[in-house]
Amino acid sequence: MRASIVGKFVGSSVTRKEDVRLLAGKGRYVADITVDDMVHAAFLRSPHPHAEIVSVDTTAAKRAVGVVAIYTGQEIKEKTNPFVNLAMLPGLYAPVFWPLAVDRVRMIGDPVVLVLAASRAEAEDALALVTIDYRVLEPVGTIGAAMQSAPTDPIWPKNKSNVVFDHTDTFGDVDAVFASAPHVFTERFTSHRQSNQPMETRGCVAEVTATELIFHSATQSAHSLRWVLAMGTGKAGARETIRALKDNKTRLKAFGRGAKDFLSANKENLGKNDNAGMIHQVRRDPSTLRHLGQMFANTLAVDPRRLPRVVAGDIGGAFGVKGHSTREDVAVCAAAIDLGRSVKWIEDRVEHLTVGGTARDETINLSMAVDNDGHVLGMRADLIMDQGAYPAIPFGAPLFSRIMKVMMPGTYRPQAFELRTRIVATNKAHYVAYRGPWANETWARERMLDIVARRMGLTATEIRERNMYGPSELPVKMITGPTLDVEMSAKATLEKAISVANVSLFRSEQMAARSERKLLGVGFATFHEAAPGPPDYADALLPGGAMLSSEPIRTTLEANGTVSVFTQQVPHGQSHETTFAQVAADELGVPLEQVRVVFGDTKHTPFGLLGTGGSRGGPMAGGGSMFASRELRTKILKQASDLLEADVEDLQITGGAIHVSGVPSISVSFADVAAAAQKVGDGPLGSDVSYDGGRGGWVQATHVCFVEIDEDTGIVSIPRYVVVEDCGDLINPAIVDGQIRGGVAQGIGAVLYEKIAYDADANFQSSTFIDYLLPTAMEIPDIEIHHLKTASDKPANFRGVGEGGMIGAPAAITNAIEDALAHRGVTITEQHLPPTRILELLGTINT
Amino acid sequence: MSNTTSITLRVNGEQVESQVAVRQSLADFIREDLALTGTHLGCEHGVCGACTVLLNGAAVRSCLMLAVQADGTAITTIEGLAGLDGKLSPLQQSFMDHHGFQCAFCAPGFILTAQTMLEDGKKRDRDHLRAELSGNLCRCTGYQSILASVEAAMNFAGAASEDGA
Repeated sequence: MRASIVGKFVGSSVTRKEDVRLLAGKGRYVADITVDDMVHAAFLRSPHPHAEIVSVDTTAAKRAVGVVAIYTGQEIKEKTNPFVNLAMLPGLYAPVFWPLAVDRVRMIGDPVVLVLAASRAEAEDALALVTIDYRVLEPVGTIGAAMQSAPTDPIWPKNKSNVVFDHTDTFGDVDAVFASAPHVFTERFTSHRQSNQPMETRGCVAEVTATELIFHSATQSAHSLRWVLAMGTGKAGARETIRALKDNKTRLKAFGRGAKDFLSANKENLGKNDNAGMIHQVRRDPSTLRHLGQMFANTLAVDPRRLPRVVAGDIGGAFGVKGHSTREDVAVCAAAIDLGRSVKWIEDRVEHLTVGGTARDETINLSMAVDNDGHVLGMRADLIMDQGAYPAIPFGAPLFSRIMKVMMPGTYRPQAFELRTRIVATNKAHYVAYRGPWANETWARERMLDIVARRMGLTATEIRERNMYGPSELPVKMITGPTLDVEMSAKATLEKAISVANVSLFRSEQMAARSERKLLGVGFATFHEAAPGPPDYADALLPGGAMLSSEPIRTTLEANGTVSVFTQQVPHGQSHETTFAQVAADELGVPLEQVRVVFGDTKHTPFGLLGTGGSRGGPMAGGGSMFASRELRTKILKQASDLLEADVEDLQITGGAIHVSGVPSISVSFADVAAAAQKVGDGPLGSDVSYDGGRGGWVQATHVCFVEIDEDTGIVSIPRYVVVEDCGDLINPAIVDGQIRGGVAQGIGAVLYEKIAYDADANFQSSTFIDYLLPTAMEIPDIEIHHLKTASDKPANFRGVGEGGMIGAPAAITNAIEDALAHRGVTITEQHLPPTRILELLGTINT
Repeated sequence: MSNTTSITLRVNGEQVESQVAVRQSLADFIREDLALTGTHLGCEHGVCGACTVLLNGAAVRSCLMLAVQADGTAITTIEGLAGLDGKLSPLQQSFMDHHGFQCAFCAPGFILTAQTMLEDGKKRDRDHLRAELSGNLCRCTGYQSILASVEAAMNFAGAASEDGA
């Protein structure tokens, strides 16, 4: 094994392989796909937040020019299985729902009718000819409204209430800590609804061919979408299913064997789950079991060759939203199967803003128990999340609440922590993963620390230094379970940030600027992120969670001597084609051009349900690429040793050729090795690795934001923004920095500009980019990044950076804004601070 | 809805004659009828700039124009920037060298907008560049790498023209 992991390409900002096609306009995004005999889909969407569907009349629309077929919600229901949540938490009610609204609409934009026509324009024309009678119901537009007991028209009648989850987690003796603490401070923090809004909307092409159904999709997770489509569209009658199962005994046996293997391999993890979640769910809605049973039986009965093959090509960003499988996906797929024709659906921006996916919209009532020296002794939080009308598939607010539960204490030392989580349903678009979906734990905690500091007469940096675990205390377990290992370096990032920020100089500038009606502020925020986290992290989230967290990587030595690295990751801007190739090329000793990263096609990529998300690409698939390439290297050397009649120990790989050490003239190429392996009947050389993340570890950072607020206009600008972070070894520094900057930019957008707006009656009010303001080049400053690297002996010392920028930024920015306004008596407890709100806080205009 | 008319224009240097629906947008014409899918649709309401093409040398939003309005014009799309040998243009190369984009869905619009700045030869400091590029949205990068890519290309072009003069 080679001692050094940082070779020729890893650590270098090599240019991106992706750019050769993307910069030339030769990318292949889903909207670019055209297949033979394709029809175009458009959805008729609800104009009401909450209403019963009384009648649907499609007669006139069916006669419209170009219309090929029209499906109502009821017609799609007859051809599909419903969405049933599989990740059941104790106390969670997960509704059973269908691809299109059947008898009730639950949000503006709820899909009601699917029209297929020769062109998208003709499909949209026909939408105008569909007549639907609605009986309007009382809408639920706010968390407050959703908390009302015994609502007249609960959004999910079987649950009776609009609260779908209410659960409390307690660590340590919270009551005792709070009772004895000399100070207790409490604030209620509210974040607004935000949205990922990648530049490319959602979309798919369900391509019907003679032999298979290929579902082209802008998805972050091809394999999980494949199974959602299989279960959703694989509907068959009971008799038909039983016959198919009988006829296909080999498949049934294979499934049985697979299930047995899985159960025995994961006995310990499975034993950790007591099924309380399942029992609660089935009590509320007994049909859950019937639907689940039918779905699995149907899927099992289907000839596997008939399961959809999902293919993702280039993707125009996602930031979490495309990790979800959606109702539209299943509806389009079911229609294509029914019609026997290919169907294309490309969401437009108004649809994407309305129902593409929204995030955050949480309130956190947070108390800190503090001693006389400013040590935080305990934390108690009451979290309410607004998941909107429909739960996201396959995971949404419930899972993210579990991450908040684990992460909220941060790298501080509270002796006790309690979190009550409630998730409510409202008549809003569904809640999705958005870059660091749990980030409000950081926001509330870091905001609160500043408030406590001010009240205790400490500075923002003093309270953090005083409370944060330092290197001498490591390793230590967070009160919520996971271990902060000896490489956890949050405090080092804070110390470095303090030194580069030069706060004392800033304070004199701040005073001087006030005479010019400029209010300056500085804000700090420190966080750590499980990317991938230590080995005990997954179990802290969900008992037995570790069994789902391995990352598969497969490699193949191709006949022409190139190496293919196959991944279940689906990159959409993260540059995996470049970074995984850098790792593999270094391990194999070949030029970068000799490695090709293959992704997106479920027919060719190894199975994995997680796709790209959770900042796992670098640590998990980067690490996996390293070990899989190492294994392939061993096989290549063994084959070469036969060809060269030399011992493996005497061989070297340089520049893609294998030669005897010191004798470069006697060499064989990778293509020679590939040919030899074929000849002796070994087939192509390759490797297949399932990487568990090894010892894992944390990524950590401190953000420092400087703001300048114009007292007359309320406009906040950011003259300087600093990120100090430690993500271990950087595979490609330019790509790492790009991820961090992009995350910070989204955090700036979230605080100063962007808001998914509804009125109190859940009427949607931000359906264009003129209402939902994405920051432009004028609003985002250059971001100053400092990398720290704590010494490590981990064989693959990569940590993820995809989400951190967005986790730290809202906290640092709002802390800076309060610092600028505190002398005017302002306390910031909300996350959205556009100029009008700043002027309200300053008392310039009335609230 | 089958109201169509004939238009003639030059696209990436080639003469094109086509029968188009009068209600068809220029963007849809470019993407669907000409199969030049490098022009991307981000919002279809004129804000994001992803669909920017050059029309008689000026950067325009092809989602806000009808195909019939392009009759008699010369259009350059992203596919028209690289050399005939497929070699990236200096501006495209600069975006590669400086890791300008991530998902690159917005790239064609940014590149064509920036191309007009390279061609007019005016010097711009970073603040001016920020203002002039503020009509194009990118959701991935935070813009710093885009600004660096354009600045480097402008400096390179400026240096080259000074050498020539």
